[in-house]
Amino acid sequence: MKPSPSEWQRLVAAARQAPPDADVSAPYGFSTRVAALAQRGGRGEGVSPFTRFSLRALGLAALVMAVTVAANFKPVMNSFADDVAALSDPVLDAGDSSI
Amino acid sequence: MPESPDETFDFADCLARVRAHDQAAARRLVDQLYPLVIRIVRSHLPRRVLEEDLAQDVFIKMFTRLNQYEGAVPFPHWVSRIAVTTCIDQLRAQKRRPEFRWADLSENEADVLDAVLTSENDVAANDAMAARELVHKLLDQLKPEDRTVIQLLDLEQKSLAEIREITGWNTTLIKVRAFRARRKLQKLFAELKRKERG
Repeated sequence: MKPSPSEWQRLVAAARQAPPDADVSAPYGFSTRVAALAQRGGRGEGVSPFTRFSLRALGLAALVMAVTVAANFKPVMNSFADDVAALSDPVLDAGDSSI
Repeated sequence: MPESPDETFDFADCLARVRAHDQAAARRLVDQLYPLVIRIVRSHLPRRVLEEDLAQDVFIKMFTRLNQYEGAVPFPHWVSRIAVTTCIDQLRAQKRRPEFRWADLSENEADVLDAVLTSENDVAANDAMAARELVHKLLDQLKPEDRTVIQLLDLEQKSLAEIREITGWNTTLIKVRAFRARRKLQKLFAELKRKERG
């Protein structure tokens, strides 16, 4: 086997003959978009994936809590009303005092 | 640096304006550095990533880290390091590297590879584009850092000092990475030779 680096070197020498990229100027509007994004603080730059995940989880938890409260609001309030009514029942009060 | 588009551009003045939230200066800075950044991005472009998106990420990082720039190195060098590390991070994020197979090569690329493996002659000049594509496919097989070193050293023919400036890595590390990359390429060529063209 002939030394392999020479194969790589011959290949890479051929690749170097390829014409350089013709267009290396920024596309229209690129600098304006990037400058505006940078001023706004970038595309989530500085916010870790964990933070983003935590914020999503917090939002989801708040939504689940709101749905749960809405679904159980009536039974809970009825239960409270029953308890209040039982506490202020005059028959029960009378029975208690006769003992 | 050879990629520096305009030697007369006053980076210090432009940076002072950018730090004072001058949008026009920020746009000028992006336009000025775009050729440098896009060349690095194109030479390290991971699969399925758009070059414009990656260039945008580089510039956003540049602006958000602007306060960390202390002027120890020329500003374009500092930006090129950001570009190189951003590309390496993207390449690392892809984790799995595609297997290099004869079957995935175009007719031209397979011809060039065949010529390189079976003959001592130089590759024909009109096969240069296919050779470049082939080189990029072979570079995809390397670890991102090794790929960067071999790309700069062999394809762009940069000196060790230039690579040190671009990457911020020391000379020993660059040499180790180049050695590792060439050894891997050597193995790859041996493997391709063994399998022959299908």
